[in-house]
Order: sequence, then C-alpha cells, then structure tokens
Amino acid sequence: MSGPGDGGAVRVTGLRKAFASKRGRVEALRGVDLSIDAGQIHGFLGPNGAGKTTTLRILTTLLRADSGEAIVAGIDVRRHPGAVRRRIGYVGQLGGADREATGRENLLLQGRLYGMSSADTERRAGELIELLELGAFSQRIVRSYSGGQRRRLEVALGIVHRPEVLFLDEPTLGLDPQNRANLWEQLRGLRDAGTTILLTTHYLDEADQLSDRLAIIDHGRVVAEGTPLELKQRYPAEVIVTPKLGAAELGPLATDLGRDPMVGAVQTDGEALRIQVPDPTAGLAAVIDRLRASGVGVLRVSLQEPSLDDVFLHETGRSLRDAGDPATAEAA
Amino acid sequence: MTLLLQTALLSRRRLLETLRQPIWVFMGLSVPLLYLALFAPLLTSLAGGPGFPAGGVLDVFVPGILALMAFGAGMGAGWIVIGELDTGVIERLRVTPASRLALVLGTVVRDVITFAVPAVIVVCVALPFGFRARWGGLGLLVVLMALLTAACSAGSAALGITLQQIGSLAAVVTGLQLPLTLLSGVLLPLSLGPGWLQGLGHANPMYYAVEAARQLAAGTVTTETVALGFGVTLAVALLAIWWATRAYRRAME
Repeated sequence: MSGPGDGGAVRVTGLRKAFASKRGRVEALRGVDLSIDAGQIHGFLGPNGAGKTTTLRILTTLLRADSGEAIVAGIDVRRHPGAVRRRIGYVGQLGGADREATGRENLLLQGRLYGMSSADTERRAGELIELLELGAFSQRIVRSYSGGQRRRLEVALGIVHRPEVLFLDEPTLGLDPQNRANLWEQLRGLRDAGTTILLTTHYLDEADQLSDRLAIIDHGRVVAEGTPLELKQRYPAEVIVTPKLGAAELGPLATDLGRDPMVGAVQTDGEALRIQVPDPTAGLAAVIDRLRASGVGVLRVSLQEPSLDDVFLHETGRSLRDAGDPATAEAA
Repeated sequence: MTLLLQTALLSRRRLLETLRQPIWVFMGLSVPLLYLALFAPLLTSLAGGPGFPAGGVLDVFVPGILALMAFGAGMGAGWIVIGELDTGVIERLRVTPASRLALVLGTVVRDVITFAVPAVIVVCVALPFGFRARWGGLGLLVVLMALLTAACSAGSAALGITLQQIGSLAAVVTGLQLPLTLLSGVLLPLSLGPGWLQGLGHANPMYYAVEAARQLAAGTVTTETVALGFGVTLAVALLAIWWATRAYRRAME
C-alpha cells in the first residue's frame, strides 16, 4: 500500500496548538512535522509537557489543531474525522476500559460500535483473548484486574477492528518490568502483522529498544528524527579513564591525550577524564596506547556509547531526566 | 438505524452496570416508598383543605413523588460521566465512530428505565392506600415523567463533562435541587403559597411538568396545562440532549 519514506501512515506538517491557561496562552505545539511509514513502530520521545500527548490527541480526532495539516491513513483528520476513526485504534494514558463490565463484554461492545457484526465481533474477541492472553480473566469484572491485565485488555480494545494505525499514549506507564517486556513483544507481533504503531514514551530504554524510528520532541517541536541507532551515532562515544594521579596532575595527561588524532575533546570529571572518541574502537585503542606510553597507572577504564539521553541533551541543552515542566504537563 | 443500534448497545451496557449494583436499585425504590409511608400520613389532615381535594391527598402527593423520582433517576448521570472521564472511557468511546448522540442516549434510556420500573411499583403500592388511578391519565403521566428524567439525565451528563469535578457537580446539583423541586410544588402544591412564590414557580420549567402531572393523575387529559407541561418538558429535554451531545463532542479539549 505504501512504500518506504512516503509517510504512508501519518503525515503531519506545521501542526500548532495553543491552550488558554491561568498563566496565559501556552503553546503546546509550535509547528510539529512528522512523517511515518506504514508497518513500523514509531516512537515519540520527550519529557512531560513536550507536546507528545497533544499531538496524539490531534491525530486521533480528540482535539482540533489551530493550524497545520495532519493526514492519517491517507485521510485528512480535520476534514474527515469519522473516516479516520474507522481506520485507527487508540489506547489513551487513562486506558478507557469499562471498569464495571467484564473484559469480554468490553471487547464485544467495542467491536459492535465499530460496526462489526455480532458474529464477527464474537470471533474477533476470541482471537484477541488468545493473542493478548486474556483467557484466565476475560469473564471477570475489569475492576478486579491487575494493572498489567487491564493494559492488555485496553490494547485489545484498541485493535478489535483491525486498525491500520494504532496510537498508544505511554503504554507501559506503571507496568512492572515483566509486563513491560510482554507488552513490547505483543506490539512487535502486531507490527509484524502489518499494523503501524505510533507510541509516546518518556522511557529512554523503551524508545531505544521498541521503536523502529524515533522522533524526539521538546517544547512543541520535533528536534530530531531517525532510527535510534542513527540518532545515537551522530554523537561521539566517550572513554572514561580514572588514572592513578592526583587531581592536579590530570591536566597535563588530558593535554597529551587530546593530541591524538583519534581523540576529540577531553574533559576532567572529578578524578576521571572523559575522552570523546568519534570512532569508539579505534579511539579506545589509541587512548590505551597513550596511557601505556606515558607510564601512568590506571584504576578504571570504560567505554560509554552515546545514549538517547545524550542525543536529547545535545538537541535541547537539557537532560531528559531533568526536563519536563510540571506547570505545562499534558493535562490537555 | 446505526443510531438506534448504537443506542441499544450502549443502554444495554448501562443497564448491566446498574443491575450489578443492586444497592442503587434498592435505594431508588426505598426512598419513594418511605415518602409514601412517612410523609403522606402528615398530609392526611390537609385533605379537603386548600390545594387538596377531599379524601384525595395521595392523588396530589403521588404525582409529586413521581416527579422527585424522575429528578433523582436523571440527576445521577453526571456522577457516572465524571467517573468515565477519569478512567478514560469517554475518550475511548470518542475515538470510535459511535454517534455522539448515541453516547448521550445510552445513558438517557437507562435512566428512563430506572425511573419507570420503580415508578410503576410505587403507583401499585399507593393504590390500596387510596390513590385513585385513572389509567389513561396515568399512562401519559409516566410518559411525561420519563421526559423529565431524560431532561435531567442529559442535563446532568452535560454538567458533568463541563465541570469535570465531582465536587463542583455536587454543589451545582444540590444547589439546583431545592429551588427546582420546591418551586415546582412536588411535595406541597404551590397554590398554598403567596402570589410571589407562585410567580417564581412559573420561571421553573419543572413546575409545568408537575402541574400537568397532577391533572393527568386526576384523569383530565385534554387541558392547556397538560399540553403546556408536555411542551415545556419536551423542549427542555431536547435542549439538554443537544447540550450533552455537544459536550461529548468536545469533551476534555
């Protein structure tokens, strides 16, 4: 249906949205551009308040953009929200399963609301109960479910009607590591079966391991886009060396190391040196050679590959762990 | 057709929810019965006095109780809606192609049923105590009160989505309850009061429903009061349903 690189699943240009708040106008989106091909898991990484949820809510017809264009599954969201709704699935942060009904009843109602026949819905509910391993509790009232069980049901609700594009807002928030890993597996399975998945997360490991491609969003703009590997490779790895030297003697060693052609910037960090190496393998070898030649003893050496947090830090000037302004948190 | 099917599906879900909480079914029935058992005896000495026909206290009182039941059955909708905003149910439903009107009507239909079933029981219980049923009028009376339930249900749901907080909703609904019910003369006919009180009553849409209900209970069907009661209640119900549908369309923007 869509080739690579054409934004077949989602195409967003110049999306803007502002909210009125007590402190005045808050610009949640300041021109988001995004292009997502069909059949992949696309991560949307950013701190709270960056605009992830607002973007998702616009793409899923819950919110109207002030300006800009959003095309989902080939359809303009603003002009034809109804047609978009039939082609997408959505699992919000709050989940949305009916607490006073059983899991099975939830699935059956959802299917019928999408216009599926009663027989078709029954069949599909059975399939999903198996696929997401809901069998043990599908006949119980949702109120009694654990967090992981409810999350699986909610994902099942999002895909009852076999949507082309599935949107998930912080799908693993509050899940324990085992349930997270399970859900990742199930999402990969859905992707392999042809569903395009767009998910927001503020977990670095989730963005890194689960996404085929990734957009980093901050202050209402996409600041970087690519595969996790591509993004990380834009930045040098670091060799971290703790020599057997006093702090005063670190300077000359740093200068010496900095002369090596395989080495980038060198910084002191307490008793350690952080040595940037654009080519990690050759750089590490060069650093060790230099240390050996200088006869300085070494307590510890490690190689640190760039992480998505480094990418975020370089693109925004802040660490993702420190970013996020609770006052503009995405209540909207 | 889709609208009908979706309304049926959504009201079925609501009814199941109600049946799973039998405490509400029980309370919905016990309150009006307590009114009948404890309040009606207070009124017997008023029989034949102003506002009450001779020997027919219940003929005046039962329509008022039914109006209170309609108010109570409908006004609960907002609480459920806020619960569903908090658990993301409304957000999930809004992303489906389901008609927003059906989302409103699903709750309205459930509330009308949870009004009508105990209403019939209350009427049956009142019969041996001297309530004189005129069946044609009584049938129309239940229909009129069902419309009132629908108006309250949709209005409460719209308020719930708009206010988003249980505390604010409770404040607004309890604030409205006294003037709306007292100034419609549900417990005591407004004709007992001074002219200015009766004048205030005319500004209350519920007043027209209760006036019409009393005439219907008395068996008079083709009067202006009855027509006015139906007209006002239907208009308010349609307005409330329109408001709630609009609120669902824009929830949490």
